[in-house]
Amino acid sequence: MTAFRITATLAALAALLTLSGCQKAKPVLHVFNWADYLKPELVQRFERENNCTVVIDTFDSNESMYNKLKAGATGYDVIFPSSYFVDMMVKQKMLLPLDHAQLTNLVHLDPAYMRFATDPAMQFSVPYMMSSTGIAYRKDRVKDFTPSWRMFDRADLKGRTTLMNDYRETIGAALKFLGYSVNTTNAAELAKARTVIIRWKKLIAKFENEQYKNGIAAGEFLLVHGYNGDLLQVANENTNVVFELPAEGAMVALDNMAILKTAQNVALAHKFINFIHDPKVAAENIEFVLFLCPNKDAYQYLSAATRTNPVIFPPAAVLDKCESQRDLGPATALYLKLWDEIKAAE
Amino acid sequence: MKHSRLPLLTTILVLVFFYLPIVILIVNSFNAARFGGTWGGFSLKWYAKLFAAREIWHAFRNTMIIAVSATALATVIGTCAAFALHRYHGKLQKLHYTLIYTPLVVPEILMGMSLLLFFVALHMQLGLFTIFLAHVTFCISYVTMVVLARLQDFDFAIVEAAMDLGANWWTTLWRVLVPLLAPGIAAGALLAFTLSVDDFVISFFVAGPGSTTLPIRIYSMIKFGATPLINALSALLLVATFLIVWLTQHLLHKEKA
Repeated sequence: MTAFRITATLAALAALLTLSGCQKAKPVLHVFNWADYLKPELVQRFERENNCTVVIDTFDSNESMYNKLKAGATGYDVIFPSSYFVDMMVKQKMLLPLDHAQLTNLVHLDPAYMRFATDPAMQFSVPYMMSSTGIAYRKDRVKDFTPSWRMFDRADLKGRTTLMNDYRETIGAALKFLGYSVNTTNAAELAKARTVIIRWKKLIAKFENEQYKNGIAAGEFLLVHGYNGDLLQVANENTNVVFELPAEGAMVALDNMAILKTAQNVALAHKFINFIHDPKVAAENIEFVLFLCPNKDAYQYLSAATRTNPVIFPPAAVLDKCESQRDLGPATALYLKLWDEIKAAE
Repeated sequence: MKHSRLPLLTTILVLVFFYLPIVILIVNSFNAARFGGTWGGFSLKWYAKLFAAREIWHAFRNTMIIAVSATALATVIGTCAAFALHRYHGKLQKLHYTLIYTPLVVPEILMGMSLLLFFVALHMQLGLFTIFLAHVTFCISYVTMVVLARLQDFDFAIVEAAMDLGANWWTTLWRVLVPLLAPGIAAGALLAFTLSVDDFVISFFVAGPGSTTLPIRIYSMIKFGATPLINALSALLLVATFLIVWLTQHLLHKEKA
C-alpha cells in the first residue's frame, strides 16, 4: 500500500516536472535581472504585443550572476549587468554585438548621461537605469546640514552616522571629498583618502550596507551614506528623511541591458531592449522603479513631482562632478589593501 | 527548601530568544510602513500585494515541487543507505560511509559550483530537474545520518523473531521494520524537506531559466524589492507549519487513545 503510494507520488511529481518544462507553444524570452527592477505590467504588455512569454529570473549581485554564466549556465537571453561588469563580460567575449538596425529607439537616449557608460557607442550594451550614491539625513534632528562629504567630520553626530561597507563606494566618497577621481591609481591620493576615512571611522556608528534604511527611518541613525533609490523609498514614507548628492560630486552607476552570446532568441531580445526604450514605456518604468532611465524623450511623460525630483534628476552642476566606477584592473589590489588597513585601524 | 527560580527564568529567556524574532516578523507583516523599526499603522496591504505578486508564487511553486520530490527520493535512498551501512561492515561500506558523510562537510558554494560544472559538462538543460538532482544529493546524507542514529539502538532480535514466526522478508520489512523505524525516517524526511526549502547557494548555481526558487527570489529582492512581502509570506508559512504540526500531533494522539 505504502509502496504504491510512494510510486504514485513520484510519478505525479515526474509528470509535474516535465509539464512545467514544456509550455513552449509561444516563443519564450528569458530575462536575468535584479528583482523588482522592471514594472510587471510592462512585461505583460510586451508579452501581449509580441505574442510571447517572458520568463524573468533574478540575481542578487553582479558577482553571482557573472560567475554562474562564466561557469557555463545557458538559457538566458537578456541580462542586466552594471557598467563595470559589461567591461569584463565584453573582454571575456560573453556578449553579443547589438544590431542597431533592430534598435530604433536608441535615438531617444539622453547624451547627457552617456559619459557614465563604459560602452557609450552601445556596441554591446544599452544603458537601463542610473543610480547615485549620496547622503540622506533627518532634517528634524540634524542642524545646519550642508550637502557635502564634510558632514562625516561633524562631532555632534558622533555614533549616529553610517558609511557604506563597500570599498569602492567609501574610498570613492573620500576621494571626491579631497577633489580627486574615484578611479585614481595615484598612491599619494589614495593614502590621503585613507587618512580621511580613518578620521571618519572614529565618528561613525558603523560601516553598513543594508540596515541604514531601517536605521534612518527609525531615527537610530541621523545621517547615512547610501543609494538614492533605497533612500528615496525611505523618504517617501518618512518626510523627515532627505537625500542629497554632495556638492563635491559622488559616484553614479549605470545598469545596462545586454544580450548573451548564448541567447536563443536574439530577435526577440532586441525587440525587448527596444521596447524598454520606447519613451512612454520608459516613463512608466521610471515612475515604478524610481531610478532614472536615461531616455530624453521619456521625461515629458513623467509626473511633475518625478521630473523635478532632484534625487532622480541630479542638478547639472553636481552631475558634472560625478563619476562612474571603472574596472581598475590590477590597481584593484591597491584599493583592497587600503580597505584592509582602514578596517584594521583603531 | 524553596524551589530555585533559575530553571523557569532560563526557560523563559531561551523562549524569548528563540521566538521574539518570529513575533517581530509577524507584527511587521501588518506594519503599513515599509521599513521595520517605525510603526506606520495596522495594514493588510503587504498581504494584498503578496497575493498579486505572480513571480513570488511562481518561485514558491518551484520550491514546493522540488522540496517534495527531492525529499521523497532522498528518504528512500537515504534509508536504504543507512540500512546497508548498519548491516554490513566491509571496506566498501567504509568508502560508502565517507561518500555519504562528505556532503555534510563540503562547503555549499563548492558543491554548487561543482554540480553546475558537472551539469554543464553533461550538456544538461539547467532547470527544475537539475535543482531536484542537487537537492537529492545533499538530502541523502542528512536522511542517512538520522536513520542510522535510529538504527544504532534497534533490536534486530525482533526481525529474527518475525522471521521465526513465519513472516517472509517482504512482510517483515513492511509490518515490522518500517513501522518501528518510522519516527527516524520521518525525522530524516522533515530535515531533508526543511533543508531543501531553505537552500540558496546550491540552488542558485544549478537553477536554470524559469526555475527561480523562493530563496533565490528573496535574496535578489534585497537590492530593490519590497521586503515586507517576505514578512507576510513568512507569517503565512509559519501559520501553515504550526497547523500541520498541530494536526499531526492531534492525529497521532487519537490513534494511540
